[in-house]
Formats: sequence, C-alpha cells, structure tokens
Amino acid sequence: MKRYLITVAVAAFASGAAVAQDYPAKPIEIIVGYSAGGGTDVMARTVGKFLEEALGGASVVVKNMPGAGGQIGFTEVAGAKPDGYTLGTFNLPAALALTYDRAADYDVSSYTYLANFVEDPNTIVVAASSEFETLEAFLEAAKADPGAITVGLSSLGGNDHFGANMMAAASGAEFTLVPFKGAAMARTALMGGHVAAGTMALSQTTSFQEELRVLAVLAEERSAFRPDVPTAKELGYDVQMSSLRGIVAPAGLDPEIAAKLRDALTAVNEMPAFQEMMAEQGNPIAFVAGDAFAEIAQAQNDVARSIWEETPWK
Amino acid sequence: MYSDLLHALPNVVAFANFAALVIGVLAGIVVGAMPGLSATMAISVLVPFTFGLDPLVALGLMAGIYNGAMYGGAIPAVLLRIPGTPAAVATTFDGYPMAQKGEGGFALQVAVVSSSIGGIASAFALMLLAPPLSKVTLLFGPSEVFWVAVFGLCSIIFLLGGNPVKGLISACFGVFVSVVGSDPIFGTDRYTFGQLELLDGIHIVILLVGLYALPPVIDLLETPLKTDTSNSDKLGTEPIWRTLPRMLRFWKTWLRSAAIGIWIGILPGAGGSMAAFMSYNEARRTSKTPNTWGNGEPEGIAASETANNADTASALIPALTLGIPGTAVAAVMLGGLLVHGLQPGPMLFRDNPDIVFGFMWQFLFGAILLVFLGGSLATNSFAKLLKLPRPLLGSVIIVLMLIGVYSIHGPMFDVYLMLGFGAVGYLMDKLKFPLPPVVLGLILGSFAEENLRLALRIGRGDWSVLFANTTSQILVLMTVAVIVGPIIKRRYFNKSANGPDEKA
Repeated sequence: MKRYLITVAVAAFASGAAVAQDYPAKPIEIIVGYSAGGGTDVMARTVGKFLEEALGGASVVVKNMPGAGGQIGFTEVAGAKPDGYTLGTFNLPAALALTYDRAADYDVSSYTYLANFVEDPNTIVVAASSEFETLEAFLEAAKADPGAITVGLSSLGGNDHFGANMMAAASGAEFTLVPFKGAAMARTALMGGHVAAGTMALSQTTSFQEELRVLAVLAEERSAFRPDVPTAKELGYDVQMSSLRGIVAPAGLDPEIAAKLRDALTAVNEMPAFQEMMAEQGNPIAFVAGDAFAEIAQAQNDVARSIWEETPWK
Repeated sequence: MYSDLLHALPNVVAFANFAALVIGVLAGIVVGAMPGLSATMAISVLVPFTFGLDPLVALGLMAGIYNGAMYGGAIPAVLLRIPGTPAAVATTFDGYPMAQKGEGGFALQVAVVSSSIGGIASAFALMLLAPPLSKVTLLFGPSEVFWVAVFGLCSIIFLLGGNPVKGLISACFGVFVSVVGSDPIFGTDRYTFGQLELLDGIHIVILLVGLYALPPVIDLLETPLKTDTSNSDKLGTEPIWRTLPRMLRFWKTWLRSAAIGIWIGILPGAGGSMAAFMSYNEARRTSKTPNTWGNGEPEGIAASETANNADTASALIPALTLGIPGTAVAAVMLGGLLVHGLQPGPMLFRDNPDIVFGFMWQFLFGAILLVFLGGSLATNSFAKLLKLPRPLLGSVIIVLMLIGVYSIHGPMFDVYLMLGFGAVGYLMDKLKFPLPPVVLGLILGSFAEENLRLALRIGRGDWSVLFANTTSQILVLMTVAVIVGPIIKRRYFNKSANGPDEKA
C-alpha cells in the first residue's frame, strides 16, 4: 500500500512537472468581467498581446463576460479548472467588495494571485469653479455643517465609496454620499455643480484639468501623472485608496505553472513597448507579482469588510 | 463650437463610412417599402450586428436606414394604398388617387424630393441646435433630468393620440421592465430570482427586437398580402429633372412641413406619423384649393413626406444632448451608440466629436442621397419588391433576430427573453396597445427613478429640492400642460381629435 502511494505521488509529481514543461500547449483565455473597450478590457488585451511574446509564441485570447458589475466574470474564473488555461482580470476593491453586499460564489481565497499591473489612486476633487481651494478648507466646511457637502461617487461598494468613507473617518468630517451610475456620470454632475466634490480615480480627472481641481491624491506618493497634486498623507490624513487591476488564476494552480506565468508577466512589465502603450492609455502602472499581490488583496478585503460591518451600504 | 463639425467631415466621406450610408439608404427604402416593416424594426435587428464595426460605419447604416425607410413607406402607400410604415398613412390620401390616374411616377418623385428636403432641413436643425444645447445640458442635474423624464413619459402617453389609458398601461409595463435588476443606488436585487443575467437589468435591444421585430414578422406570415400591382405598371415615369420645376410651387408647404416635422421630432413622445398628419392638415387648411385634396393633390404628398422625414434627425437632439430619446427610433439609435461605448449626454460632444458630428453629417448626406437612390433609377424596381414571397422574408428576419440578440452578450437566456417580449408585443399589437410607451417607459422609467433618488440624496431627503430652480419649474409646467392640454381641448372643442396609431 505504501509503495502504491509513493508510486502515485511520484507519478503525479512527474506528470505535474511534465504539464508545467509543456505549458502552454493550447490557447490561454483571459476572462474580463466587463465589456470590450473599457479600461479593464484594454488592459487585458494589452497584457495578453505581450504575454504571447513572453511565453514564446503562445496564443492568448481575451473573452468578455460582462454583467453584474464584473461578478459574472469573477465567478467564472474562480470556478474554472486551475490548469493555467483560464486566467482572469481582477479589480480591487470592487471584486471583493461584491462578496459582502450580495451572495457570491467566490471570496478572497478563490484565486491564485499572479500579478497586478495598474494602480489608479483615488482623489478628492472639486469643480474648478468651486470655493474650495485646499483640502483643509473643504474638510472644514464638511465639519462645520455635517452632511451639507455632497460627494459624487461612481457607485456604492467601490473604491470611490471607500475612499470617501476613509477620508471622513480620518478627518472627522461628514459627507452626504451620492452614488451615480458610473464615474463619467459622477464627473458630469461635479462639473455641472450638482455635487460639491468627488473621490474619482486620478485617471478620470486627467483630461479635465481645466474643469476640475484635484485637492489631494489618496496615495502613498505623488502620482507621476500629476506631480503638482499633494497626497492626503502630506496634508496630514493618512488615507490611501485606489483601484487596482491585475491578472489572477483560479486557486489551486500548479505552483510551477504559476511561477512560469508570474515570470512571463514580470517579463511583460519589463518590455519598454508595453510600458509605452500603458502610459499612452493613461494607465498608472504599479507592478506587483505573486505573494505581495495576494497580500494587497487580503488587505483590500479587510478594508471592504470593516467598512461593510461599520456602515453597510445596502 | 461648430469647428468640430467641419473637422468631422473628411471621415464621413471616407469610403467605408460613405458606403455604409449608401447601403443604409437603400436598405431603408426596401424596409420602408415592405408593409409591416418599420425603421425601428430594421435598426433594432441591425444594432447587435454592428458590434464589430467601426462606430461611424454602424451609425451611417442606421442614419441611412432611418432616412430611407421614411421615404420607402411612400412607395406602397402610393401604389397600393398600403402605408409601408405608419408614418406614410397620410401619403396614401393623395398618393393612391394619383396612381389610379396614372401619375404614380410623379407622386413618387414628389415623395422622394419632399422626403429629401425634410431630411436635409432636419439634419441642419440637428447640426445647429445640438452643440449649443449640449453645453446647456451640463446644467441639468438630477432633479432637472427627473422632470425631463417625467415630461417625456407624460407626453408619450397623452400626445400619442388614441387612448391615453392604454398608453399609460403600456408605459407602466415599460417602467416595470426598467425596475428589473439591481437598484441604481444600493444595488439591491429586484425581480432577478437569483439570476446573475438579470442583475444588470434588461438590455434595451432585447426588448426592442422582441417588441418591434417579432410582431410584424408574425403579421407578415399571418396575412398573405394580395398585391394589386396594376398601378405600378402604369407609373408614367419621366426623368426627375424634368418634373422638378413642377414641384417648385410647393415651397411654402416644404418650409411649413419641415418646421412641423422638426418640432415634433424634438418633442418627446410624438413621432413621424404625427408629424405627417399635422403637416398634411396644416397644408390642406391653408391651401387655396382644399377640395382637390384627397383626390390626387401632389401637394398633400409633399406635406406628409416632408414632415415624416423632418423628424428623423431632430428626434436625436434630446437623445444626443440629454441621453433622453424622444421616439422609439431614437431610442434604438441610442442603443446603437451605447453598444459602441458612446454614452449620450454633454460629454459625448467633448469626448467623441468626430463620431457625433460625423453622425450628423451622415444624416445630411443620407437625405441628399435619397434623391439619387430613391429617385428615378430605383423607384420602379422597388415597386416590384412587393412581389417578394413573404414567408421567405419572414424567416430571414427571424433568423437575423435570433443571431443578433444572441450576439449581444452570449447567453441563450437573452434569446428566450426576446421571444417572450415578442409574444407580449404581439398581444399588445392585437389589443391595440401602443408600443412606443413601453420602450420609453423602460428608458425614461429608469432615468426618472435614478435621478429622483439622486436628487433626494443631494437634497438630504427634502422634496422641495425638486422644485428648487427655474429649469425644474418650467419642466413641471410643461408636464402639466401636456396632461391638461388634451383634456381641455377635448372638452371645449369636442372635435374628434383621434390621432393616428403611432408605430414608427
């Protein structure tokens, strides 16, 4: 019996190794939980294009499975066979926030975290015509009349929302949150003066520099895209929130295949042509691979859970 | 503001985009000429197929079809007294008597020239009015948008003519459909029965295809049309450049009808057939020889056809600037824009000027092309179209519908949903419930809900925020006028003001 088990183990190991060596033997699919043409889709297609090269001529296909705020796609990846042929894009904190506000068939442990590519920090932003010139003045007004300051969000349960909540908690201010349908709607309302401020991601503000005034970025360091804008941390509020986009595989992926994919994705990130293309698309890159990415996911999960427990949004 | 307009021009005349427009106009004339098939139907069947196309190619096809169909409807209206589209009903009044007198060719030429003039005027209205309006609409916040949506819903119910109660029930059905999915603020599931597919709500194109394409197809197969084509054999066609001078005396009618058509187009709720009726009545009222009307007066065709093309581009003015479609066709076109990731509203003009202004040029060129394509060369052959075997036509359309709907997202669920809406649409059609309120109920219902809730959040629960500024107050007054107006009119004038059955 013992011998049999050893044989099985050896065989399994050997076949595993063989699988990893042959990988990829067929096209790899990247599942995107959003429609073609969106930010996440464009990232997946860009990464996919260079991943083909990094894996030595493999074929990478992007499959869009939009719906339910990305949940259909996230669920599909979590439930796929962990053979390295199904990967998916992963959006933080959205993907994990979803697991709190509705029934989901996955959680933070359902994935093998391969690499994160994009980190787009949230901001505190007002219209250019706004009376608030600084973050301090803005927060003072929010404290003086709690709830009088309206903050437009792209939705509840996303990074805009969490950013606003964390800013409120750090400063003791109180906002009235107004969740629009998407970032573009929130931005239009902000420009039209219908809400006093917004917490949208920095990339949403870059082509509107004449109409919007970014008071602070909610990041550890100033953004290379807007070095003139201070971080909230510099101004005395240690608040960090951002939208992250990376690539994951289902949990239980063979460690050798996972390593191979991580190396390939790291190689993708080092290609100058890739960096150039991402910059053109206005995607701020913050490359993190493997365990460090898994830790970020865990941390984002904790933030989402604590906000859900303190102030459930539905 | 208008420099973007010129900037978009070169792209429009690029080969693929222009070819799309030509194909669109031809297809539109064919579709319009088929009794039972409308522009709304053709465009809703088309939209899912445009996914992979360049946006301007897709929009060119749509603009072409819309313009073409509005004229195409005149062909059977003149030759057979069967309006090809609901908007061509008023064209039968004088068109058919002319055909009986052997002047069918001239009647169709008047129709095509008038259609073209209406379309050109409408395209200019869109080009001139939409850009400045798009700046103003930034000032439309949640409470104003809420009132625009309420105004749109009320006007489609009360201005449509016919029975307001049936209109109201149709609109309620549409609003109910808009409620399905996660709610716009908290994301609470409503009527989803645990189906993730339903969480995003029901895709407008699914509803449109089911509602607008399936009932006419069933109808097509149900009633074998006996086509008496004797009139099309004695068209008496002369070259169009020779008949044109005889039309110049209609210039007043052309101007008046174009203005009526444009105005009706901008107004939410009313559509091509109402424009055609109003302008026919107006033209007849001011005519020096009212007794020739109804017996083959070409000016009647001019009035009706100018107006039903003049509402095409202008119907897109509220759609492009506010994202609020005034007619069912405009709603389908919005669906087409959304498919390409183009979110209507003030930002559209800023983010995609080449596309939005290109689209306007396409309307203009589509209207001009109409004269050449629908004019002398093709009218004869289009008349023969009516002899196509209807079962063949019906089955082709059904196949296209199934493929199209499946290709939007992929799941078969959407296809079943579309067939379900088709069944509902068929019953509604038989029971004479109007269909446009359903579509607008779906779109405007979700607009109204979302913006009401946003406005109340901004106002921290205080309802007075809805009446806080002048724009809102004006919109409230307009809404009241739309509801009360027809009631007063009916009571004091007691005319049988029964409008046409709106379908286009």
